[in-house]
Amino acid sequence: MSTFKDLLRVAFNGLFARKVRTLLLLLGPMIGVAAIIASVGLTDSAKGDLKAKVNKLGTNLIEAAASSSFGGQNPTLPTDAVARALTVTTVEKVSAVVELSNIVVSPYEEASDVFETVPIPVLGTDIYLPDVLEVELVSGRWISDFDAQKGARSAVIGVGLAQEFKFLPGEIRTIELRGIPYAVVGILDSVELEPGFDNAVFISFHSAEIDFLDDDAEPNKMYVRCLEGTEKDSADALRLAVNLGGPQEITTEIKSEALELAAQSDRQLQLIVISMGLLAIIVGGLGIANVMSISVIQRSAEIGIRRALGHTRQIIAIQFLLEAIAVGVIGGIMGVLLGMLAIFIGASLAGWVFVMASWLAPGGIILAITISVLAGLYPANRAAKLEPLETLRLG
Amino acid sequence: MSHVVDPSVLMELSHVSRVYGTGEAAVWALRDVSMVIRAGDFLSIVGPSGSGKSTMLGLLGCLDVPTEGTITVGGEEVTRLADAARTRVRGQSIGFVFQQFHLIPHLDALGNVETALLYRSLKPAERKERAMASLERVGLGKRADHRPVQLSGGEQQRVALARALVTEPKILLADEPTGALDSKNAANVMEILSSLQATSRAVVIVTHDASIANSAARKISMLDGGIVTDEILRP
Repeated sequence: MSTFKDLLRVAFNGLFARKVRTLLLLLGPMIGVAAIIASVGLTDSAKGDLKAKVNKLGTNLIEAAASSSFGGQNPTLPTDAVARALTVTTVEKVSAVVELSNIVVSPYEEASDVFETVPIPVLGTDIYLPDVLEVELVSGRWISDFDAQKGARSAVIGVGLAQEFKFLPGEIRTIELRGIPYAVVGILDSVELEPGFDNAVFISFHSAEIDFLDDDAEPNKMYVRCLEGTEKDSADALRLAVNLGGPQEITTEIKSEALELAAQSDRQLQLIVISMGLLAIIVGGLGIANVMSISVIQRSAEIGIRRALGHTRQIIAIQFLLEAIAVGVIGGIMGVLLGMLAIFIGASLAGWVFVMASWLAPGGIILAITISVLAGLYPANRAAKLEPLETLRLG
Repeated sequence: MSHVVDPSVLMELSHVSRVYGTGEAAVWALRDVSMVIRAGDFLSIVGPSGSGKSTMLGLLGCLDVPTEGTITVGGEEVTRLADAARTRVRGQSIGFVFQQFHLIPHLDALGNVETALLYRSLKPAERKERAMASLERVGLGKRADHRPVQLSGGEQQRVALARALVTEPKILLADEPTGALDSKNAANVMEILSSLQATSRAVVIVTHDASIANSAARKISMLDGGIVTDEILRP
């Protein structure tokens, strides 16, 4: 242990005694690491806000919609589609909706002439939809069990529609659906993954059956939350579980996929800049090998006298290797700091979110140390092999 | 080879030869040399260029191994040892002083003396204390924080002496210790060297200078790779 402390002291003395040379040695690993960190960090930061959004929204929302390959009108899902979906073990939450068509919506009856032309989707749904979409209500409440069972004419409207109809927060008002007044019990916040819901009206399945459908309400779309990471498998399983060999066909869509694609950093650009950083660090490593080899020749007398004083070849080799490692550690840390500064400045100027992957800092330092050790091996070996008798030039 | 260890024998060379090169190009730098260095010796090895005294110095300092013959240091046969073990024997038993001083330029006087005590499991404070004591012994206590370039030649050689002595070596090997010094400094260094004569230690001066050689108590004269005379000048 004290031997190791001695080695460290000698190595740092050696580096500190030649400050300019040491600074030049530091430049290689420093610039290389900084380049790699800045390139990865900046390309990540450019998409940082999108990434943050994907993280916030979650990637595990699947939309399962009824479809018909025969071109049939208004394809539907089985009535017990929700129960069938829940048999998939990776499925956590399910909510079903039925999209109703051709329903004129107006804020009140007298306004029907003005608002008639605006197509507004009306959806019959269950009580679970906000929970599955992980969205809050701006005000009021969602459709309750009571509404669903008793057919109370309660409606929840999207936040965009509320603005258009000039709803005041907490205001008690009705809305006309094909002339039938519904009580607006709540306003749903924006759903980032389903922007259409901003301007939609939600009523219970029961109300939909009574007021707008000829027969039983069958859902034509489901929203499914599955375990994170099982999106693709869950989507595949859902198609089988809901269909069960019956006539109803369904298509599935992972809602965050498009967003995730957009949030992906430009890997090719990143690779090019990383390669340049690697090149810089390798050139830096060659610089270390070169400068240290010259240093071994310059310090051959010192090495000779140390050997004469009883320092073994091993000690001499480790001492030179430690000098190289110290250059790697210090250069690596300085490179990480420089790289972070570059990301920070770049992101601030461009108005991006500062993003730096957690592996970048340790990775950069480890890379710098690895290169330095490799670069130091040759000079260290040369130093160890010097014969004291030859370097001391005895009289 | 059984050997009765005589504690007064610090080093023994037995039928030692050193050959450089092989075959027809072989050069016999030393040929069948035997000698004993005893505790209390103040010995000079003198000879002209090419007499083999530098080769002798390398062997005495365990910096080199003979082609033939054996060398024992303190009863241990160093010719059988691997490089690392030989290096340890060198660090424990032998101190060096060179014509060119060979101080490490980026360390101050104290740091240079301390270098001899590195990797010996000493606490930094103890190492510093011993190095300081050694510097004071050669009269350079006040110059401890001076770098070699800030010291005169004589002072540098005294720092080198302090470095050689700090490990309390059994044998002090001085290679032309006054060769790079003016007469005043040379006399000063020789004075210190002769004062080091002690019952437990041997001082060996390798030189081509007859007057330096004659100031020793015992003189070995070399010529053409062999010992010509081994005489006691003073008891």
